[in-house]
Amino acid sequence: MAVLVLVRSPLPRLRALLQRCWGRLERGLWPGIFGGQSPPWGPALAVQGPALVPQGISDAGAPSLPESMVWMAAPKQRRTIEVNRCRRRNPSKLIEIKRNIDVCPECGNLKQKHVLCGYCYAKVKEETRLIRMEIYKKEGGPFNAPTVETVVLYEGEKPTEKDEGKRIIERARKRPSWFVQD
Amino acid sequence: MRLSVAAAISHGRVYRRFGLSPRSRLDLLRNLVTALVRYERIETPWARADEMRGYAERLIDYAKRGDKDERAMRMADFWLTEKDLIHKLFKVLAPRFQPHAGSYTRLLQIPNRDGLDRAKMAVIELKGNPLPPLVRPRRDSDRTLLNQLLKGYRQDAQRARGT
Repeated sequence: MAVLVLVRSPLPRLRALLQRCWGRLERGLWPGIFGGQSPPWGPALAVQGPALVPQGISDAGAPSLPESMVWMAAPKQRRTIEVNRCRRRNPSKLIEIKRNIDVCPECGNLKQKHVLCGYCYAKVKEETRLIRMEIYKKEGGPFNAPTVETVVLYEGEKPTEKDEGKRIIERARKRPSWFVQD
Repeated sequence: MRLSVAAAISHGRVYRRFGLSPRSRLDLLRNLVTALVRYERIETPWARADEMRGYAERLIDYAKRGDKDERAMRMADFWLTEKDLIHKLFKVLAPRFQPHAGSYTRLLQIPNRDGLDRAKMAVIELKGNPLPPLVRPRRDSDRTLLNQLLKGYRQDAQRARGT
């Protein structure tokens, strides 16, 4: 549909000129404007783009696509389930089974061969914490490290001649079986 | 001859990188050495314990020289941030390890840390500490074949000595 643009100009000569130009456009006597495509109002279509340029395709040998398009890789065929299984179940993709798990001989829990048993270590850690609390009570404050060795004695134990010059830490419980007195 | 080093190659480097800078790495290790001398058993990530072990053992080697030695005292002054531990180092640890030639520490791996990072943890302790032992040395049972044969041999030797 041709669009009529009404231009109101105060100068009658300009108006006459515009009318003449418009007449020429309508009659198709001014093909040079739209870059070699004649008549721009040919078949009335609402679509932009190549649909309005049927001659451009036959003129140029290459497809008239804009230069910004990039070719991307895409799979050509569907991978079958057999091929997929081979890839997914390949030994390099499976989780490795650990063969270094053993039973702790003291408590019976599972442990890795090169790692300490978690249960036994927790036991020792708790006892160490209680011994350190006793040490802190004996020292009285921070930065009072003694200049003699320390020995830990449990209920009912007397210091031997080996523990001559050492500071004694008392623990108010029976000696645990796993803490052997040297 | 390679005149420049590529950024991501570290062939032959023995020191790990810790903290924010080399100075920060030394401060970190210094804190760990101080804690080890104070508490005689500490639990820390395995990499830090492994790195710290060398420094701790060399510090004890310096301490064995005696506290009259100028270099030993300067080393102890740098490495122990809590100054009452210098006394403990020279008066307790040096005599304790005098008969030993080296390897004053024991490094054992623990189950991974419970937090989100599941870090590889280790416990490092000075040998001869008064705390409860971490690992009990296990002797083979008396019922094994080798032990029974050895027992028989010992009894034969005793009988031969007796008669």
